[in-house]
Amino acid sequence: MTRLLQALVAGLGNGSVYALLALGFVIIYKSTSVVNFAQPALMVAGATAVIYLGQAGLPFPAAVAGAMALAALLGLTVERTALRPMIGKPVFVIAIITIGVDIVIRVVVNRLLGTNLRAIANPWGLESFDVGGVFVQQRYLAMIVTLAVVVTLLFAFFRYSRIGLALRATALDQETALTQGISVGVTFALSWAIAGALAALAGTFVGTGQSIDQQTWIIALKALPAIIIGGLDSVGGAVIGGLVVGVIEALVGTYQPTYAPWLGNNFQLVSPYVVLLLVLLVRPYGLFGTPEVERV
Amino acid sequence: MTTKIRTKRTLALLAVLALLATGCRDAGGGGDEALEDTQADLTEEPADTGAPTEADTAIQTPDATDEEPAGATEEETDGEQAAAGDVEFDVGVTDQACPEAANPDNGCIYLGTISDLTVGPFAALANPITDAQAAFWSRVNADGGIGGFDVDVSEHVRDNEYNPERHNQEYQAIKGDVLALAQTLGSPTTAAIIDDMETDQIVGAPASWTSLWAFEDVIVESGINYCLEAMNQVDYAVENVDGGVGSVIAVGYPGDYGGDAAAGVAVAAEANGIEFTNIETGQGPDNQAGAISGIVQQQPDLVIVTTGPADAGAIVGQTAAQGYAGQFMFTGPSWNKGLLDSPAAPAVESLVLLSGPWPPYDADTPGHEAMREALGDVDPNEGYTSGWAWSYPLRAALEQAASNGDLTRAGLLEAIGQIESVDYEGMLPEGAGNLAGDPNEAVVRQSVIFRPDPEAATGATLVEDFFTGPTAESYELEGACFTTTG
Repeated sequence: MTRLLQALVAGLGNGSVYALLALGFVIIYKSTSVVNFAQPALMVAGATAVIYLGQAGLPFPAAVAGAMALAALLGLTVERTALRPMIGKPVFVIAIITIGVDIVIRVVVNRLLGTNLRAIANPWGLESFDVGGVFVQQRYLAMIVTLAVVVTLLFAFFRYSRIGLALRATALDQETALTQGISVGVTFALSWAIAGALAALAGTFVGTGQSIDQQTWIIALKALPAIIIGGLDSVGGAVIGGLVVGVIEALVGTYQPTYAPWLGNNFQLVSPYVVLLLVLLVRPYGLFGTPEVERV
Repeated sequence: MTTKIRTKRTLALLAVLALLATGCRDAGGGGDEALEDTQADLTEEPADTGAPTEADTAIQTPDATDEEPAGATEEETDGEQAAAGDVEFDVGVTDQACPEAANPDNGCIYLGTISDLTVGPFAALANPITDAQAAFWSRVNADGGIGGFDVDVSEHVRDNEYNPERHNQEYQAIKGDVLALAQTLGSPTTAAIIDDMETDQIVGAPASWTSLWAFEDVIVESGINYCLEAMNQVDYAVENVDGGVGSVIAVGYPGDYGGDAAAGVAVAAEANGIEFTNIETGQGPDNQAGAISGIVQQQPDLVIVTTGPADAGAIVGQTAAQGYAGQFMFTGPSWNKGLLDSPAAPAVESLVLLSGPWPPYDADTPGHEAMREALGDVDPNEGYTSGWAWSYPLRAALEQAASNGDLTRAGLLEAIGQIESVDYEGMLPEGAGNLAGDPNEAVVRQSVIFRPDPEAATGATLVEDFFTGPTAESYELEGACFTTTG
């Protein structure tokens, strides 16, 4: 039971990070119909910014806020310079451009990171609470709480603010939104900025329990099964998908070597993709995605 | 087809690619089967092997021309002899001076480097290794070079990203321009080119310590291998860990690196009557849940870690956070002083010991002193120490070949068979570097033990100088401890 609870806490914590990344994917996809493959680069750029701002003497909360602002600015810049000229072009082409953007940003960030391991100074480290024999790491609680706060703020933003309403309208139908006086360009830029900020937040939490190095970006790829499981155009689905991936990964990593060793070593790495395939077999648009209606 | 459907199909395709990327990372950049396929594909092109043919090496004329450019191809350099002496040479050696030569009147020996320079798990070590080797050969050149030739290690430096397929590609790209490899980093990566190296008669200094190298004629290895080092780790822990050692877990990457160490741990565990468990783990700190769970569940007295530094830090930090307080011992490449600034730092300082093939960066041997002087003002790193020490056997081989008057690839290979000891300037014990002897007799069995120390130059302080544990002492090395066929 102790192992199960520890695995669940770790899974929910890591899943919260995947959910933050997945939210960035979904917000951009909803507003622009583009899958942003530069999200991993935005994540490590944000984490690197936290490292540098922390070294400059900023306290952790200020460093995180600063990094989120910088990542938002970076996302906005990418949208304005690399993607805005491609409006009207096939989304496949734009998605490929985001892969190029990802590589460019990572090359620059890798220069800043260097080849040594880098650490993010943070209040939690690997400190744990001992709750009835279950070691609950403080950072996992921080991740879960942060995700809850972010989701609440996003809900309030989309539900109650004018610009949030504009984003929803654009996501629903761009041409109609234009006719209603909504600046679709602004909503595009804003969605990229939000995604950048969320990626920076995710990158920060990745760095709370481990060192940051030039391979850290690969973690962001775990948001891909998350968004497909949850549904590509569902904010709630992104959250659920991220948590599912985190929990599945933790449970498989904990129990598979004991109870299903015949699956081989490191089956946890592919377990999210197995879940993804199962979900797609039952619900091709993800758990919470919008079914496509086609005229045939 | 609607745009949305097309997008989702694209996304599904990219998700599959992401899965492949994850899988490749787990397998060190590629599985053995894929590797064998790649090797087969590449070796099916005999016209591009870069090996000197009989015609290449048989025609040697004394009237070398001075007009050939540096880095000339083998065809262009057929039949050369150095102006400085009667030394035969062909591929990778020219009578033209090296770029930025220390001795403009010397010819040039080109050595290749294939290393993990950017995104692989050992980049933090690989860059200092490469820099140290550049400094080593600069010192050789400053001392006059070898047999009338300077040595160049800067023209053919390639990045393998710790990916066996990439390593092979880079090898194929440079093999026609180099006499030998000053560095081929990684065990699984070097395994991806070892057959080609034998075919091409290209000698290489490995930046790895797998036991297989003792049985490869084209490899000039230095220091104890992972297998024997792991035996020493276990023996040392049995003698020195409070409360003794009744159980041990080996955690490492699959393949020649982690597998070689795990094989050594298994031998030492059996010799000491210790319960042994092997846990293979993938690359990436986020992929260590299985290893962490296994350690926490089994609560072994000793854990031998053979991974990259970031993963080693995650394993130590996370297990300690879950209450594990046993002894960790890292194999050399698992260490990076950045771990002392990581979230795992308290656990690393209190639970970890490290082992290595030679004393640390700030040791007081002539070799260490020469290294520090040659490097100048750098941020100390054990990669420098390793890169420097690994270069001595190749220098000895080149000197022997030059003295034999034959700096062809075949000549260099023949010279290796004549070297019974290498002068490591005190960095390794007397007698180390017997490249000619039987592997079981020639292999180095001594290693050293460090402990993490934030005050030390490289974050680690020597606590036990060269020693050989009873298991390694009596072990008969009759073949590689780890092979891909098991």
